[in-house]
Amino acid sequence: MSALVEIDNLHKRFGTLEVLKGISYSVQPGEVVGVIGPSGGGKSTMLRCINHLEKYEKGSITFDGILVDEKKVNINQVRSRIGMVFQHFNLFPHKTVMQNLLLAPLKVKKVALPQAQEKAKELLKRIGLLDKADAHPGNLSGGQKQRVAIARALMMDPRLMLFDEPTSALDPELVGEVLDVMKELAKNGMTMIVVTHEMGFAREVCDRIIFMDQGVIAEDSPPEQMFTNPKNPRTQDFLRKVI
Amino acid sequence: MPEIVRSFPFLLQGALITLWLTLASGFFGTIIGTLAGMGRLSAMKALRYPSSVYVEFIRGTPLLVQIYIIYFGLPSLGLDLKPFTAAVVALTINAGAYTAEIVRAGIQSIDKGQMEAARSLGMTGWQSMFHVILPQAFRNVLPALGNEFIALAKESSLVSVIGIAELTRQGQYVISRTFKSFEIYGGVALIYFALTFSMSQIVGWVEKKVKIP
Repeated sequence: MSALVEIDNLHKRFGTLEVLKGISYSVQPGEVVGVIGPSGGGKSTMLRCINHLEKYEKGSITFDGILVDEKKVNINQVRSRIGMVFQHFNLFPHKTVMQNLLLAPLKVKKVALPQAQEKAKELLKRIGLLDKADAHPGNLSGGQKQRVAIARALMMDPRLMLFDEPTSALDPELVGEVLDVMKELAKNGMTMIVVTHEMGFAREVCDRIIFMDQGVIAEDSPPEQMFTNPKNPRTQDFLRKVI
Repeated sequence: MPEIVRSFPFLLQGALITLWLTLASGFFGTIIGTLAGMGRLSAMKALRYPSSVYVEFIRGTPLLVQIYIIYFGLPSLGLDLKPFTAAVVALTINAGAYTAEIVRAGIQSIDKGQMEAARSLGMTGWQSMFHVILPQAFRNVLPALGNEFIALAKESSLVSVIGIAELTRQGQYVISRTFKSFEIYGGVALIYFALTFSMSQIVGWVEKKVKIP
């Protein structure tokens, strides 16, 4: 089976600060990859390069057999197949929950309204927020917002889901409901790359953990090994601090 | 019968023209201003520079001179506009420059996560702008836009110099006939105020209407 995502020698700098110094790894279809590491280590930047929210200077990213950074590739088409969930939700506040879900399918995929509505209702039911369809994001809790944001991404039938610290902005008691939705997604075979500080989640749900520090992948191993027997001293040091 | 009462219907005709001038140039000015405002934030120099030159030049020169250029100056270049058209064009170009700055501020007030979320869903830059950024930006700058419309209603009095029979010009007619300056200009001022006060009420109502819950 060929990899769904293949990142090769990715380099990225902000001005003189080199944040990614040659990142390479690949993700198989159905795989759930957790990305952990200290702040400023380049985790989010790496994730944002995958759907080209960040430009990068060197290296290549292949998604589903397409070399993404080629000028010829329609980046919008690629993005429509990669769902992204942000730390701060980024729901569209002027639109209702239902409208948030419908916008991209209607405008990008040109799905007919009844089908899109049907799908939206199904997804809202799945995340337990069908009764909030007509609410505006401003009237939702953080956990509810993030669940809606996940549903909004799922509306596009993505092949890959990117999570950028999806629970970092949540009150502790709301983290669980978001993680539950993500667990369900993982169980149903969604390919996911999750930048997270939730070590419990990473250990329980991820097939593989990548530890990033100072712009490089310091360690890439299955969760059991990562959490019980990390090889790299930097990993050991980080895990000692967070667990 | 006081002169102001007798002349009232005549002044009202002028007020109607003032209203038309305001609505027309406010409408077109908002369109041009939105384009120029987006242009100033564009990554493309070919859009950014002309937008900036437009805004800076119009803001930095008197409206009266702009009216003169468009009505008296352009015919020498072969572009002969009727007075009303020239008036609307001049006011539109002027309002557009101020609106551009308002729209720019509005767009910049929106968190960049909004654009990222829209783009990450596969929407084009234009789709994201149109469906996500601008609707929020306009809500945020509605009070400033209302100010601009009110300023426009008042500044439209300047086109009286090219013979548009708007409110101020009508007042001048009456005074040239009756010499009752205080009474008529006072009446004219009150009509302007009625116009602008209604506009600010309408803007206030729209603000409430489109407020994001």
